[in-house]
Amino acid sequence: MVISRSQTSNAGALEKHACPHSSGISCGNCRLGSICLPLALEGEDIIKLDEIVQRGRPIQKGENLYREGDDFTSVYAVRSGAIKAYRLTGDGQEQVTGFYFPGEIIGMDGISKDKYACSAKALETSAVCEIPFHRLEELSTEFPSMQRHFFQLMSQEITSDQQLITLLSKNSAEERIASLLISISARNARRKLSKTHFRLPMSRTDIGNFLGLTVETVSRVISRFNKQGLIAVESKEINLLDLDGLKAIANVNENF
Amino acid sequence: MNFPPAPLAKDNKSSATNYHPSASALRDQQLIAKYDVQGPRYTSYPSALQFNNSYNETVYRQQALDQLPQTISPLSLYVHIPFCQNICYYCACNKIVTSDHSVARTYLEYLGKEVNLQSELVSKHRTVMQLHMGGGTPTFFDGAELTELMHLLASHYNLTDSDRREYSIEIDPRTVTRDSFALLKGLGFNRLSMGVQDFDERVQQAINRRQRYGMIKTLTATARLYQFKSISYDLIYGLPFQTLDTLAVTLEKTIELAPDRIAFYSYAHLPERFKTQRAIDRLTLPSAAQKLAMLSLITETLLAAGYVHIGMDYFVKPQDDLAIAQGEGTLQRNFQGYSTCMASDLVGLGVSSISSLKSSYAQNERGLENYYQRLDAGVLPIAQGLSLSTDDQIRAAVISQIICNLQLDIKCIEKQFAVVFSDYFSRELQALKTMKSDGLISWHSDKLVVSELGRSMLINICMVFDKYLDRKGIIQFSSTL
Repeated sequence: MVISRSQTSNAGALEKHACPHSSGISCGNCRLGSICLPLALEGEDIIKLDEIVQRGRPIQKGENLYREGDDFTSVYAVRSGAIKAYRLTGDGQEQVTGFYFPGEIIGMDGISKDKYACSAKALETSAVCEIPFHRLEELSTEFPSMQRHFFQLMSQEITSDQQLITLLSKNSAEERIASLLISISARNARRKLSKTHFRLPMSRTDIGNFLGLTVETVSRVISRFNKQGLIAVESKEINLLDLDGLKAIANVNENF
Repeated sequence: MNFPPAPLAKDNKSSATNYHPSASALRDQQLIAKYDVQGPRYTSYPSALQFNNSYNETVYRQQALDQLPQTISPLSLYVHIPFCQNICYYCACNKIVTSDHSVARTYLEYLGKEVNLQSELVSKHRTVMQLHMGGGTPTFFDGAELTELMHLLASHYNLTDSDRREYSIEIDPRTVTRDSFALLKGLGFNRLSMGVQDFDERVQQAINRRQRYGMIKTLTATARLYQFKSISYDLIYGLPFQTLDTLAVTLEKTIELAPDRIAFYSYAHLPERFKTQRAIDRLTLPSAAQKLAMLSLITETLLAAGYVHIGMDYFVKPQDDLAIAQGEGTLQRNFQGYSTCMASDLVGLGVSSISSLKSSYAQNERGLENYYQRLDAGVLPIAQGLSLSTDDQIRAAVISQIICNLQLDIKCIEKQFAVVFSDYFSRELQALKTMKSDGLISWHSDKLVVSELGRSMLINICMVFDKYLDRKGIIQFSSTL
């Protein structure tokens, strides 16, 4: 949810370029600014934040952003595309631990060990903003409100990650899949995108891995939801036709 | 630590759901009354009362530097967060009651300064196997502040995600929501201890700590949902308006929620020393005799419910790590109570915290102003401490064995310190004779073994080996911090 930018920028001094995939744009006019770091700053101060944010070339599908066990140096805001986080189990199997979409911050699970707890890999071509942590800390002495805001964001991310993981560790296949769809829908709504119509960038295998289900079960449940009129699926495009119905299946209470 | 002063000993024979003490229980009660003196809780030996200010920052720094080459042995961390939103009348610990949340921000900054100074004295490679946050109220910090604090620790010390780690935090149920538990889990905590104190409404009112049973129940269920490895309740007996009847109900409710560990402290009313206790009317307190009966009730009820009395004021489920460690003879004890994987060195951070290097204790300034002042001057805020003499170390080892293993291996002590036990402790061995005839201990070749009854009087047995007590073994004692 950090630092990305919109195509239609008119932020005067802050403006550089307008292309959404370009690495030459600033924080000041980002459409995700309202849920991101700029929220804690005003006017010219945003430029200083902008100066520490690094925007490299987009990462390609299958490319790693960082690997489990690497020193924790930066957190990353997804600007476009999608990232999956995973760990390797003792026998070398991949265990997917989360999916991250534009406007979401990844890498924060490293904070309590000072090493990345997972690896992060692009599911499709993605642009990210890198926020080097020590620079952020330096900046925070100048703007204490930003540091506070940053840790707030971080604690929210950690909280919702844990909630999702816990939710998914229980319950039936239907509940898990419905929960995942609702989670993506809610996250879309937060960044003012459609909460009923979106594209699932991850494979059924990844979904199954994340939810602890076989690919066959994932496919079966998704077709069943489709048949029941809860969702409409067209390849990776998904339309949530009956959000309340899905919520009922997911057994989502107010706490999750 | 938010514990009231010095617990008494306790009884543990027979089992009864309706409380009618048996003849043997009555006999035990008489013994308990005989051994009913206030003593140290032996979270350290010598206790904090012996600390003095000739031990200072320079001494600590030198001792730490001597140990710096130690790069493999694990490390323990303790962080003290002194603030509380509300005042609990029984409390005798180092705390600051305030509704001004901004104090947290300032404190966090100073913790940062202290961590900077402290962490230079420790090898970066030492794994932190044990981390404890106590108070005050650690959850006075909001989610962002706790996250920042964990980041601070993680960026200066080698924290771990090993399953064997013990990362615990004290919870005031009134300051947390379900979300807090998700965050704490995500931050790496795997153990929680909740300040429950008592479930009776009238008692809660009298101690100014209202927390409904439903709330504790929900939070306990949530902690289980997030798979915390152990959930511990702190309970207190000897509180105003407590009776055997109200206590029986509290015990019943506790057992229903089935915490993995229970610490049942004794309330000691010392209003002349602890101002907040003046809000408690002496006339509403149970008598000494009633407290003894309560202790019997607690022990009998918890044992009947399947808990193991591991000693002092701790009861745990038989499958709990602490019970297993005791069975294996690896249980340990430090300022945070019992532990399975205590490191030889403990670094205490925050106001009034105690650090413990191999043969010394160092305590930080107890007042916030002094603590800040010292850090502003760029020095570690150590106010007092103690370097252990060889005699202190021998006695500390003896007391630790008794408290943790419920037995004392004479040969082991002789080997470790090159002493002849019967010569070194001739006076103490004399004193133990009465305890043997009272059935508190027995001798099995070279081992002193604490009996089932003796578990209730562990403090008394340890006091025999405490050089700093006067002859009667009575001392004006305070809580550990």
